[in-house]
Amino acid sequence: MWGLVAEQIVNGIVTGSVYAIVAVGMTMTFGVLRAINFAHGEYYMLGTFAAWLAIEHFDAAYPVSVLVAIVATAAIGALIGFLVMQKMIAAPFQSGVLATIGVSLILQNVVILAFGGGYKYFNGGYIEPVEIFGIGLAQQRILIVIVALFVFAGLELLVRHSWLGSSMRAVSQNIECCQVVGVDVPRVVLHTFVIGTALAALSGVITAPLNVSVYGGMGEMITLKTFAIIVIGGMGNVRGTLYAGWMLGVVESFVAGFLGLQFRDAVGFIALIAILMWRPHGLFSTQSRF
Amino acid sequence: MSGMDTSTVVATALDKRLVDAETTRRSRPLFQAVILAGLLAGLPLVAGTYTLHAVIISMIFLLPALGLNLIVGYTGMLSLAQGAFFGIGAYASALMAMHYSTPFYINIVFAGLVAGLVALPLGVPALRLRTTSFVMCTLGFVVISQTLAKNWISLTRGDMGLSGVPKPDFGFGPMNAADTLGYYWLAIAVAGLATAAVSALVASPAGRNFIAIRDNETLAEAVGIATWRYKLIVFALSAAFAGVGGSLYAHYLTVVSPLSFSMYYSTTILIIVLGGGAGSIRGVVVGSLVFVALSEALRIAPELRMILYGLCLLALVFWFPKGLEPLLARLFGPLSTSRQ
Repeated sequence: MWGLVAEQIVNGIVTGSVYAIVAVGMTMTFGVLRAINFAHGEYYMLGTFAAWLAIEHFDAAYPVSVLVAIVATAAIGALIGFLVMQKMIAAPFQSGVLATIGVSLILQNVVILAFGGGYKYFNGGYIEPVEIFGIGLAQQRILIVIVALFVFAGLELLVRHSWLGSSMRAVSQNIECCQVVGVDVPRVVLHTFVIGTALAALSGVITAPLNVSVYGGMGEMITLKTFAIIVIGGMGNVRGTLYAGWMLGVVESFVAGFLGLQFRDAVGFIALIAILMWRPHGLFSTQSRF
Repeated sequence: MSGMDTSTVVATALDKRLVDAETTRRSRPLFQAVILAGLLAGLPLVAGTYTLHAVIISMIFLLPALGLNLIVGYTGMLSLAQGAFFGIGAYASALMAMHYSTPFYINIVFAGLVAGLVALPLGVPALRLRTTSFVMCTLGFVVISQTLAKNWISLTRGDMGLSGVPKPDFGFGPMNAADTLGYYWLAIAVAGLATAAVSALVASPAGRNFIAIRDNETLAEAVGIATWRYKLIVFALSAAFAGVGGSLYAHYLTVVSPLSFSMYYSTTILIIVLGGGAGSIRGVVVGSLVFVALSEALRIAPELRMILYGLCLLALVFWFPKGLEPLLARLFGPLSTSRQ
């Protein structure tokens, strides 16, 4: 019994780390744009597809495919950031919702048209099991947790101690004052958005060896879970996102283990609605941001 | 509204009401409705079954769209939950028909009632939220409904769905809706009734209150409109419309499955309303004909259809923020009707 519980917790933290890396991009974009992004999961999908393409058709090694995924997705992210997201600055919230649903439909279905709607097999990564504290788990899972810790440490440094980070915080606090004192708001938005898409791609490609299947619609559920995480963590709160990701991952893994797999995907949304009702600023922020 | 003092706001609101009333009177909605009804009545003489099918589907989608139009166009909130209530209506109606063999007119009323009653307790917490949070919360309803439909197997048969939902049979001659033509008349009749009901509601004092809430909620509350109660009524009413649409859909396709809760429905309904012009009943009617016809025409290539939907959404945001309505106003309104 104890072994089973420990295993669920470890699995939950691994899944939660993946969620957190995707969600942090959305939460930072929300911070600067005040717009939620319905297309965010699609960048996770694009990253996985790019890596699959590199491995399957160009015989790339897994680390190379990770690089390909990040660069390709960031490029697409930059294009969409320039064409769509920058225009959402100071737009009413409806515009952000509609435009990103539109982007999501286009990205998802272009990929399905180009590569077919069927499931693809992702062949890469480090899936040999190792044993730690009596629990056997694939090396890839350990890698995921380490990557998540590095990503969040890096983001913390970026947000606290860099020019871009201070601009991001400034824009999320008062966009008009930023414009007055000469902060290049569109540029900050574009950079934040591209970092977010690259992280979503990274998250996709490091989970792919565990999920194995790659398909066009895989981003949708990720987008939905991302909403739950950014609300639990507090919109715009970077560190809160990691804790919220872990929490959701662990609870989901307990629900899947003890209640049944089919109830797993509803957990996030029940949590989302509950948090919106009782603590609309999230569990890890002290102040409401919207 | 900052920077404008209250008296200016009241004056503008009154002004707008007068302009609105003026425009409504001049553009003669009844006349346009009669023309459209005439066109739809004549359609079976010239069109084939496939065209009739497309019109049936667009009439079915018109119902949840009319409901969403009330939410978006008259209270200013964006809801994705219409797809969920559409599915709930479809299931409610199908289950009634299959378990109790009740006639169609009872099922369709029951579907509307169930959807409306489910919406009431959900609306109480959800309507406290604003903008983005409300959107995410309503999206949550869709996901949870889908999970329920998939897992409450004793009731819904899970992923297998319900098949063999009976086609409505009124038992007398031409009103037998088992064939496409019969269902065409039925769908038009129901959609027409719903459109008339919404028009009447919007023109009533209650409708004026909705508009006041949309334009300035704080002011509306200050002059004594029970904004909270009106929002809740609109939310439940729009769900009831969606439920009726779901019932029509279930009895037309004769199959209901958890796929009824997929994002496709919420997205389509959203495109109809915003593409037609939120807040305009005429716009929503034309929107449902235009966008659903478009979607049915691309049925063989579902991916292309979704890409086109995506492009439509972007076009709406960037180039036509008011949807088709300004175009319609120019086509049908007298030359003097120039909106401020």
